[in-house]
Amino acid sequence: MTDRDAADGAGPAAADPPVSRPVAELDDVTKQYRSGDEVIDALDHVDFAVEPGEMVAVIGPSGSGKSTLLNVLGLLDVPTSGTVYLDGDDVTDYDDEQRTMARRRTIGFVFQSFHLVPMLTATENVLVPTMFVRGNQRARAEDLLRRMGLGDRLDHRPDQLSGGQRQRVAIARALINEPRLVLADEPTGNLDQDTGRRILEEFERISTERDVGVVAVTHDDLVTEFTDRTVELIDGVVQ
Amino acid sequence: MIDTPALRMAWLNLWRNRLRTGLATLGVVIGVVAIAAIGITGTAIQVGATQQLGDLSNTVTVFPGEDNTDGVITDSNVNAIERAAAGATVVPQRSEAMTVSSRSESRRVTVEATSNPAALYTAAEGTIPSPMRSGVLLSQSMATDLGVSLGQTVSVDGRSYRVVAILEPSGGFGPGGVSVVLPLDAIDRDGYDQVTVVAEDGEDAQRLAAVIPEEVNQREEVVDTFTPADIQQSISGFFATLNAALLGVGSISLVVAGVSILNVMLMSVVERRAEIGVFRAVGIRRREVMRMIVAEAALLGVVGGLVGVALSLVIGYTVNAQLLGSPMLVFAPRNIQFLALGFGFAVLASTLSGIYPAWKASTANPVEVLRG
Repeated sequence: MTDRDAADGAGPAAADPPVSRPVAELDDVTKQYRSGDEVIDALDHVDFAVEPGEMVAVIGPSGSGKSTLLNVLGLLDVPTSGTVYLDGDDVTDYDDEQRTMARRRTIGFVFQSFHLVPMLTATENVLVPTMFVRGNQRARAEDLLRRMGLGDRLDHRPDQLSGGQRQRVAIARALINEPRLVLADEPTGNLDQDTGRRILEEFERISTERDVGVVAVTHDDLVTEFTDRTVELIDGVVQ
Repeated sequence: MIDTPALRMAWLNLWRNRLRTGLATLGVVIGVVAIAAIGITGTAIQVGATQQLGDLSNTVTVFPGEDNTDGVITDSNVNAIERAAAGATVVPQRSEAMTVSSRSESRRVTVEATSNPAALYTAAEGTIPSPMRSGVLLSQSMATDLGVSLGQTVSVDGRSYRVVAILEPSGGFGPGGVSVVLPLDAIDRDGYDQVTVVAEDGEDAQRLAAVIPEEVNQREEVVDTFTPADIQQSISGFFATLNAALLGVGSISLVVAGVSILNVMLMSVVERRAEIGVFRAVGIRRREVMRMIVAEAALLGVVGGLVGVALSLVIGYTVNAQLLGSPMLVFAPRNIQFLALGFGFAVLASTLSGIYPAWKASTANPVEVLRG
């Protein structure tokens, strides 16, 4: 926590540029959806930034634009207006191919319902993002799983794992490409309190040890206990 | 090497839905069998039919042409034919209606006269003299009709001839229909009614049938030719057409199999939307997703194709054993072509069927997919 305070202090002053550069940033981003004749502002002139090593919770009622924020940050969706920066690069106008490659390089995803591939083992699931990348990452994947406490589950398939174990496999998958940013959509949504706590400790460890920015969208109060900062969204507006 | 992950994912996905995969593969198997087994069977039937025509198809009959007012082939024509057909045996023949009689019976038949009947006929009894200067050759049925046997004499238009050989009946077309053969001098006039050229094989016969008129005819059509090889070729042509039609039917069944693969792949892609969405989210590119799904469809084609080829070989083996008595003919180059055609078409149709589902999967918006 003290590290984080120091970083926050250095940011606005720009005294220490390497620390202050956000890993991802939204600048005046608006995202509109058309629903019949109505236009809905899922995000309404949102400014948002994640520093390396920072863990941010995004909370808000359902329909408040949390998921849209995550999708825009994760380059899964493009804003109607505004600018998106990833690692200092303006990625707003990237095409699908460029966005996919940026996701592969820089971003790790963790989903509420894990979304593991059922017929692949834990190790193979972790390797999914590297599937079409040259070089054997198996050792690294196994190492990640061991560090998640799954050393004895490397060759188990998802249906042989508990919810918490599955989510840890999913986290390992998010980390295999050494991302700068990890985005988690309700990471504890399908887990009991204790398991959720262990998963959040895992996120905290990743964020500080690897200097990764973590953004978790949630409406679980437990998550906010672990994050450095909480951003509340209501009707697409940061409160 | 590059597509190893795509192939592995494809294999796992197919394995995940074994029943569906099996049924889709069955369609391909049927298609391949329809093409390959029908092709192989067609070949076997054709080979069988050609065997029946047998050795007759290597002769060319040269007869007077439309512009030949005398209706005879002259000695100089024969020389020209011999020049054109260098290497082949040239047998000039005369024929005339004559009365053939034994002590008890008498028949009026067309008698053939030639100096070299050995080139055209085989003897069932006795030997055919070469060249033939005396005696008479009778067909078996003529000998029976007249009530004579080998060594006895018959009279032809009042002259006596000793029966030196009884001819073996020759099936099919050509000069087999002859009943009485005399030496050339027995019909004493200039020129010949027809000339038979014995070529090496059917192909050579067809060549000579074309070359001889070119050599002999200057401005007018003095001679014309006929060869059973032409008939054989028409038969081949008929079988080729028949085979093409059957192959068309086979191809349609493979197209149907392709459509069912398209259906199966579309279903499976819709079912796996979330999974594909995750793939896209974690940085797998559109074309990589496409490759995975196309590989899946292609794999269906390869597996179905291999099973189909194996089945067709079994069928072809049986058919060739039954029809021709030589089962190994199934490995004739032409049959290998049918097998390759069936297999290739199976893989092609399956792969093409995979393209649309793959495109659909790869262009799905991961956001919408993950929301579900």
